[in-house]
Amino acid sequence: MVNSNARNGTLRRGFHLGKLGFNLVGSYLGYQAQNVFLGEAERPLRQARFQRRVSQRAREELGNLKGPAMKLGQLVSMGGGILSLEALEELMNLQMRAPGMHASLARAQFKSTLGKYPEELFREFDPEPFAAASLGQVHRGITRNGEKVAIKIQYPAIRTAIENDFKLLRALTLPTRITGHIPAALLAEVERGMLEETDYLHEAQNVEFFRRELRALTYLSIPRVYHEWSGDRVLTMSFIEGESLREFLGREPGAELRDLVGNRLAEMYYTQLHRLKALHADQQPGNFLFRADGSIGLVDFGCVKRLHLDMSEVLTSIIHRSWQQGEVETRRLLGLLAGPQMPYRRARKLLPLLEDTANFLFPQGPATNPTVDFRAPALIKLAESNSKQLFRDRIYPPEFAFVSRAEAGLCHLLRELGAHVNIAAIWSRITAGGCTGTEGTEWTHGITNRKSQI
Amino acid sequence: MKRKSDRKPAAKERGKRVENKANTRRAILRAALKLFAEKGFYRTTTKAISQKAGIAEGTLFNYFPTKEDLALYFFEQELNAVIDWYQHEARIQRATLPEKLFAIIQQSLDRLAPYEEFIGAAILRGLLTPASKLGPWNLQNQERHLRYLRFIREILAQAEAAGEIPQVGELGAYAFGLFHLAMGVHWLRDSSKGKEDTLALMDRCLKVGAHILKQEGWEW
Repeated sequence: MVNSNARNGTLRRGFHLGKLGFNLVGSYLGYQAQNVFLGEAERPLRQARFQRRVSQRAREELGNLKGPAMKLGQLVSMGGGILSLEALEELMNLQMRAPGMHASLARAQFKSTLGKYPEELFREFDPEPFAAASLGQVHRGITRNGEKVAIKIQYPAIRTAIENDFKLLRALTLPTRITGHIPAALLAEVERGMLEETDYLHEAQNVEFFRRELRALTYLSIPRVYHEWSGDRVLTMSFIEGESLREFLGREPGAELRDLVGNRLAEMYYTQLHRLKALHADQQPGNFLFRADGSIGLVDFGCVKRLHLDMSEVLTSIIHRSWQQGEVETRRLLGLLAGPQMPYRRARKLLPLLEDTANFLFPQGPATNPTVDFRAPALIKLAESNSKQLFRDRIYPPEFAFVSRAEAGLCHLLRELGAHVNIAAIWSRITAGGCTGTEGTEWTHGITNRKSQI
Repeated sequence: MKRKSDRKPAAKERGKRVENKANTRRAILRAALKLFAEKGFYRTTTKAISQKAGIAEGTLFNYFPTKEDLALYFFEQELNAVIDWYQHEARIQRATLPEKLFAIIQQSLDRLAPYEEFIGAAILRGLLTPASKLGPWNLQNQERHLRYLRFIREILAQAEAAGEIPQVGELGAYAFGLFHLAMGVHWLRDSSKGKEDTLALMDRCLKVGAHILKQEGWEW
């Protein structure tokens, strides 16, 4: 009896594994599913309990992982269904993750891309990765000239996997595309975005664009690309030294240093918005490296968003609270933000949100301290609820949602740092064309200001 | 006295002759591989091979009566090279079982890459023509197969002893051999960039396979 039960369980699990195996290399979502499963297996647990839990967990996790795909399916099947922007956005923002590679696979993939093994090209190559990257992992290396490099290697065949998922998605969304509820162009745009991230040659261009355009910020290091050792699935860059935010904070840096770093982070962000009209779209802490002298490293340019929305004008309007200056100004700002398609009445829902944002980031009034304390708990709540509301009410052009999420990422960093930043001052300096970069003298100035005001 | 001194040079001579023979075999193989890579397996004539190796065509037939014999010798050498490579790779020997097995297939495919067309032709002929000397069931292949199976079996036995997988026995090695063959065929037909599809497939199969063995046991 017991035996047959066990056999039954085995069969059932076998069935699940079979389903997992079905997606072995064909599907990106399939990879995700397997990652959960294989990841669980590596934890040491007692066999019996483990087996019971694994099959349960796999089911649960698979359900979760299927989220975006399932959501799309539901939306499509809802009859005359509208595959909403949200669903696509969600898909677009799926954390791009790939399975880990052991050294033998990483080396093989390196050779598959560049025709030689890493040891044949570099003086040293560390077979153990030191970081995970979008769709791959990063290894340390040393060139023949003794330069330290970071070598990013992509998991094999990930591009095909994503393409397959979109083939399926296009089949699923055929009815909605016929009725015009979802423009084929939009789907194509999402696919293009995801595929772009799989092309490391494109990422190399991004890196160079940011390196060139942000060179005036002398405290900022962005890696240099080594084209001779890069291809569409391998990217070799100069190694950027620095600590993670946690390590940096672990040394208990003083308030001055934290404020300096915070100001610089804000300057980096707003310079991207204003000058580059493009954003390093992955503002998560792992992509920032910090050093004791206050200089900052920025890495991983797989996802870069070029903005069509004129954020400079939007931000200037927000700072000046243009909605308080009458109907014409309000219409203009909302038109900029929400686009011409959105009815004015619906767009007006944005106003309270803009007001809140303005009050927190750009405090106004004669008695107000313009420097924002990012440790204030209300701030992060605001950033979070803002993007949630934007999402729920669908009162946004996707691009603005994108910017506000990036801004939430910045706020998070600044809060962790506990920095005090005068965003308004930074913004006016950037828009006035004054580029600091000269070892942060103006920051010191900013900090002195704050102190004198306290 | 006389006989003893007589025998010694004779043995030496024989040893030398064996060595010479082995050298000639290797020289012929080198010449043949170059031609196979240039012209393909089928279009390369025995005459061209003997010319390139600098021997008479008749001598070539003494060593390799057919092109299939040449292919057999090639596979033999390849197996030796892979086993030898594995035994000198300290890092791989410390790796997990899926990585070890991945590395073995990958190493063999990597070595075969320059002779892709030749390998394809040889494997195809072997699979499609049961009477061919290259057929997997041909007696001449058995010794090599057994050596391969023993090599894999030993690696699996280590993993069994370390508790990495349950007992899989001889059948485990045999199953892996079939997997290896399947990956070889996939690799030959793989038109993806740098044949990365094969890498991904191998990696996923081996990881899932090892996982199934660990969790579900050998009995299904």
